[in-house]
Amino acid sequence: MSRSAVRNDRSALIELRDVSKLYRKGGQAIKALDGIDLTVAEKGMVAVVGPSGSGKSTLLHVIGAMDRPTAGEVIVAGRSLGTIPEAGLTDFRRKTVGFVFQGFNLIPNLDALENVMLPMEFNGVAREARRERGRELLSRVGLAERLEHKPRELSGGEQQRVAIARALANDPPLILADEPTGNLDSKTGEMIYGLLRKISRERTVVVVTHAEPLAATADRIVHIKDGRLESH
Amino acid sequence: MTMLRIGARNLWRSKLRLVLVAALIGAPFFLLLVMQSIGDAVQRQTEALKRNVDNTLQLRARGSMGHVNMVGNEAILPQDALAKIKGVERVARVEPYLLAMTPTEGHNFAMIVGVDPRDTRRLESHGEAGNPKILFGRDLSEGDRGKRVAIIGQGVARWAGITPERLGGATLTLDPRRTHPVIFALDRPPVTLAVVGIYASGYVFGDMQIFMPLDTFREVYDVAEGISWLYVRADSAENLPAVERQLRTMLGHVADIISPTTVAEFQTTATAAVQRLANVGIGLAAALMVVVVFFVMLLVVRERAWEIGTLKALGASDWGIVTGFLTEAVLLCAIGAVTAAVLFGLWGGPLAQLVFGLGVSPFLPSHYSTLANSLSLAPRFGAATLAVLVAACLFAAIAGSAWSMRQIIRLSPIEAIRHE
Repeated sequence: MSRSAVRNDRSALIELRDVSKLYRKGGQAIKALDGIDLTVAEKGMVAVVGPSGSGKSTLLHVIGAMDRPTAGEVIVAGRSLGTIPEAGLTDFRRKTVGFVFQGFNLIPNLDALENVMLPMEFNGVAREARRERGRELLSRVGLAERLEHKPRELSGGEQQRVAIARALANDPPLILADEPTGNLDSKTGEMIYGLLRKISRERTVVVVTHAEPLAATADRIVHIKDGRLESH
Repeated sequence: MTMLRIGARNLWRSKLRLVLVAALIGAPFFLLLVMQSIGDAVQRQTEALKRNVDNTLQLRARGSMGHVNMVGNEAILPQDALAKIKGVERVARVEPYLLAMTPTEGHNFAMIVGVDPRDTRRLESHGEAGNPKILFGRDLSEGDRGKRVAIIGQGVARWAGITPERLGGATLTLDPRRTHPVIFALDRPPVTLAVVGIYASGYVFGDMQIFMPLDTFREVYDVAEGISWLYVRADSAENLPAVERQLRTMLGHVADIISPTTVAEFQTTATAAVQRLANVGIGLAAALMVVVVFFVMLLVVRERAWEIGTLKALGASDWGIVTGFLTEAVLLCAIGAVTAAVLFGLWGGPLAQLVFGLGVSPFLPSHYSTLANSLSLAPRFGAATLAVLVAACLFAAIAGSAWSMRQIIRLSPIEAIRHE
């Protein structure tokens, strides 16, 4: 079986070399990723598209150091994730990756500003500095007037914008977004994509999505099927 | 600090749940406070007995119980024994008693004790140093000298049909002419005493006594002089043997000198049993706390698995997240403890009596079945109670959360995505 490979030419932020991920379910081995080679450049937006169960979320988890591959090497921002101990992965995620989830995943009893400040608190940023940056980020996503609103007081689109601001908090070089518009109507979805595209001018944004029309606006589309990449 | 603050704020997510959990955790804390108060009360009782007995000797006429109307036991000490003993070195106090008996129902009888109102109300057959607690009315006072007044044990009150409500004008008539197989008649007219108080002694026989002023006793039973019992208190327990030696030299020919030993009996029976049961109760309360915290935290961690995953994805350390949840557990326990302390302050006394009656008394020797009434089970809050509450809080929070904390550490950041 030939390995699937997708490369681009700019200097690489992400490099996956022959990455596979096997799950065991009911005594049966399921190959979520199958010998993936992928290089993603610094800056720009990459859309990972594929049907349900194709392995696109697993790919995102592996890149984001939320899961370890069964085989192969994952290098992100110059660091081979396989060589980093579990505790070090926390530090890696904190500094290198910003996550945007489909369900927003805002901490319900913290307001918008506090949610955005949270990753900076984990990163040891001083209180005033993180408050200042939190305000600035929320202002950038158009929520300057919603700083003290709790997630339940915000619409879906607003919550996702808070989540994007939170992902940018520690100024990571990589933003990983897993179905960021999955819980939003199409108009709001477009707006969120617009925001992610804007962000991708200064860092790498990898978006996993079902929505082909939105994916089409990315700088690059990576198709995945049965755990293997198909280049377009 | 961040996670401490988040942990504290998590408490307020659902006020209804907070109230429920505080009640659930407060219940074992309340039980713990009740059991601790029972243990402390018995300990205080024992200490009081020790103070009054370990340094004390009892003197009575040779070969006699010293009860003025008891068959074969009516001989009493000469009056001058009192003055002689007061002159003995290292004697701190001498307390003269006069005793008689009166028949009650069947073959039972009550003891009648004449005592100086300033002296200890010692209870016959119980270390001769009981610690009666006035349940209703008042104790004897200086102003009662020579008056026809008495305080009676709750057993006597039941026999005489004197209830707390009727205490105001209650009287008790003593008839020295009444006889019993061990009581002979005295040619004295019946006397009516005003009952001013009802006490509880902690044991059945102790509750069948009637205390009246010494002068009143002399008048009722026509005992112009002489003493049934003399209690001699040395200035310290260490000096008691020396005092005893001097007393034997001085009065050994007329008096039996007895070292009361029933404190030891009380300690080995009542105190030990109550302490054991109180400790079992405290253990059960602690176990219950741990169980409640265990389930509450398990539920919380399960419910917030996605949040834990999100925090991990955002770069929170395992220790940081555990600290947040542990803070929540400690604060939940603290709220439970405060709730329990408030309820204990309000209703702790009566409930401790109830718990004692239901859970402790059945396991005591039968003659201590009324011990609960004699104990001061009123809520007391001091440094020791605070220390117990703090220790219990930390123990319950840490032990009860241990499994959940393990779950937190094992949770993967992927949980954040499963939420979707």
